[in-house]
Amino acid sequence: MSLEPQELEELKSKIGRDPTLTELQIVAAEWSEHCSYKSSKKHLKILPMDGPLVIKEKGYDSGVLDVGGGYVVTAHIESHNHPSAVEPYGGAATGVGGVIRDILSAGTRPIAILDGLRFGNIEKDKQARWLFKNAVSGIADYGNCLGIPTIGGEVEFDECYENYALVDVASVGFGKKENLIKNHANKGDLVILLGGSTGRDGIGGSQFASDSLESEDRSAVQIPDPFIEKLIIEAILEARDAKLIHAMKDLGGGGLSCAISETADAMGIGIEMDVSKVHTRESDMVPHEIMVSESQERMLIITSKTKLKKLEQICKKFRIGCSVIGIVKNDNQMHITQGKKTFANLPTDVVANATLLDLPSKKPKYLQNIENDKKLKIPNLKKSLLDLLGSPNISSKIWVYGQYDHEVGIRTVVKPGKDSSVLRLDNGKFLSVKIDGNPKHCYINPREGAIGCFEEACRNVVCTGAKPIGMLDHLQFGNPKDPEIFWTFLETLNGLADYAKDFKIPCVGGKVSLYNETPKGPIKPTPLIGVIGLIEKNPLIPVPITSGDVLLLVGETKDEMGGSEYYEYIHHHIGGICPKVDFKSSKNNMNSVLEIISKKLIKNAHDCSKGGLAIAVSELCMTNNIGCSLKIDKISKNKLSDEKLLFSESHSRYLLTVPKSNLTKVIQILKKHNVFHEKLGTFGNDSVTFSKNNKQILDLRVDKAQKIWINSLRDLILNV
Amino acid sequence: MSNYEVHVIIENKPGISDPEGETILNDLVLKGNEKDIAKIKTGKMLKFSVSAKDKNSAKSRVEKICDELRIYNPMVSKVTINVIEL
Repeated sequence: MSLEPQELEELKSKIGRDPTLTELQIVAAEWSEHCSYKSSKKHLKILPMDGPLVIKEKGYDSGVLDVGGGYVVTAHIESHNHPSAVEPYGGAATGVGGVIRDILSAGTRPIAILDGLRFGNIEKDKQARWLFKNAVSGIADYGNCLGIPTIGGEVEFDECYENYALVDVASVGFGKKENLIKNHANKGDLVILLGGSTGRDGIGGSQFASDSLESEDRSAVQIPDPFIEKLIIEAILEARDAKLIHAMKDLGGGGLSCAISETADAMGIGIEMDVSKVHTRESDMVPHEIMVSESQERMLIITSKTKLKKLEQICKKFRIGCSVIGIVKNDNQMHITQGKKTFANLPTDVVANATLLDLPSKKPKYLQNIENDKKLKIPNLKKSLLDLLGSPNISSKIWVYGQYDHEVGIRTVVKPGKDSSVLRLDNGKFLSVKIDGNPKHCYINPREGAIGCFEEACRNVVCTGAKPIGMLDHLQFGNPKDPEIFWTFLETLNGLADYAKDFKIPCVGGKVSLYNETPKGPIKPTPLIGVIGLIEKNPLIPVPITSGDVLLLVGETKDEMGGSEYYEYIHHHIGGICPKVDFKSSKNNMNSVLEIISKKLIKNAHDCSKGGLAIAVSELCMTNNIGCSLKIDKISKNKLSDEKLLFSESHSRYLLTVPKSNLTKVIQILKKHNVFHEKLGTFGNDSVTFSKNNKQILDLRVDKAQKIWINSLRDLILNV
Repeated sequence: MSNYEVHVIIENKPGISDPEGETILNDLVLKGNEKDIAKIKTGKMLKFSVSAKDKNSAKSRVEKICDELRIYNPMVSKVTINVIEL
């Protein structure tokens, strides 16, 4: 772990002397990309972060949204990519732990977890299968032990993640507005470290996350302990209710170094801290090891002397460690001692604010001709559809979410496996949350791909009747010092900012993860977008579809096959036109679907995404055990070939299942909003049949498709 | 060919925390009158019954199986292999 030569010079000139070893370690941790966002921070400002519902407070690790009735919702997203790539079980589990403590540090109770997982080609690659299997168990074991439901997420496989893993975890919290921690501190207040002991595990983790993963690093592995985490949650919430917490921060990347410097800097205070007061696991740890250890399940709390006794009683009751490690000063210095000996004494603003970079960017060469369409030989459509239904990216993820407890807490009214899960809140409203990514689209067109992920997450929450009120962005790229990679980062960010501004959806939290490189090169641009939607009254809880119900398609199907599952999985072709979101129709479609749902006119709304219309319709039929015969002549304004009509992944499309008696009313609303729509057909019988010009082009027995779709992922993992 | 029992002991490396061991120590052992116990570590043991030509080949065979099948993660675990001739 070290600083770059020019950074060392900069540090020397800022403090006017040579740094000590401990100071060097502290600054190296805090100035790492992972903690300082030095490459990205300048640019992140273009995202809109304010809105009527957003509550801002200094030093918050998570976004806070006012959902009315005196209640707030908090949300945050984190990744644990590097640790998960070397130890998937522990890496994924501690990722969950970290994001939960971010939610907790605002003073809210975590009520849901979502996770986005990405691995290499599990059909061919044994290592990818091993990573996948263990990351899923890690999340399941940790989340299930905590009594927090894992309500959704997504899983994707792509060759660009060979020997690597992207493990993204989002969490949602809920609480009373009056209980939010208003971070503040006075001179003489005490700095307390609460939770598990500090050991040598995870030393240098944030630096590790800021380097490419070339050699396997042994020290950066963190061992999860969900039981301590659970005790921390309960102890902190009890201390919160007793108003014992003045300020709070979770210990994540960079350990105490980052928590102390960032807390002090955010509140404009100084902190004097004695490392010999930290409860350690091993007796021979030196000061800088204690300062940068990333041992899990720890929180930093500031309280006053008079409240200490009560806080200690609570910690004793929950049997978690509680050490007074320092005191608040008003000199804006972080002063680290061991007993009476000083090991570091640095101005907090120097430590907490690395010099931000303005890296060069250049449009990548590979993008020049990638959107040119290529003539492909069209294989049998039915076989293609069946192959897609059984492909790892499209097949049912029940093997994954079946391992997660998604009901605990009894809030989950719409459960995983649908477009988006829905949680019941105590103020009578409902919350819908979804995360989406699509590196295949983003590789072909970083800007449009990112907007597409954003819209897809919006579509998913809209399908439950929720209005998007906030977004989380997690931007994952390769080495930012490569101008071509940095260009893709900037394009992604600009696209997201444009959509967020146009739709007035504030960005309430996010994370940037760079240096995601595998031995074969950088990963594809992988932004992951989380959207939080609020339902004032009635969520759309899907009702079983019955014979005679009508299927409507809202939104136009276009010639946009680039990055589609059909091109990539069936044809192994990377290229073609990336789907683009038309902001105007996106908004019209969204508003009309929301109006239709609020008037309780439909049984089900489902979005069209990966695999296109053919997959979306099959999913509806398979989950409802019913067939459907549809005509697809008029779903596009242009003349498209059969496979494009079936498999294009154009955005802004929704499938609405309408009882016959409501059809006229629904169509009236669609016409009023001037929305492109088409009546596809009616449900009934036991096959899905697509026809064009009165000629059947594809038919599929629902029960046969269902067997393939539900079982193939499990069979692949279990090798049967 | 002789018969051997190969014991593979898998435990967390020193310095990596062991929540299960700590819980047994703090919540069971130290709750009694065993104040002189300082540490408990948990692990997993696999017993392979192998027929091989000698002790060393029995050991290396099992070692190879554990490595290839990722029965333990070299990042996290310390592995000790003992061979007993039956």
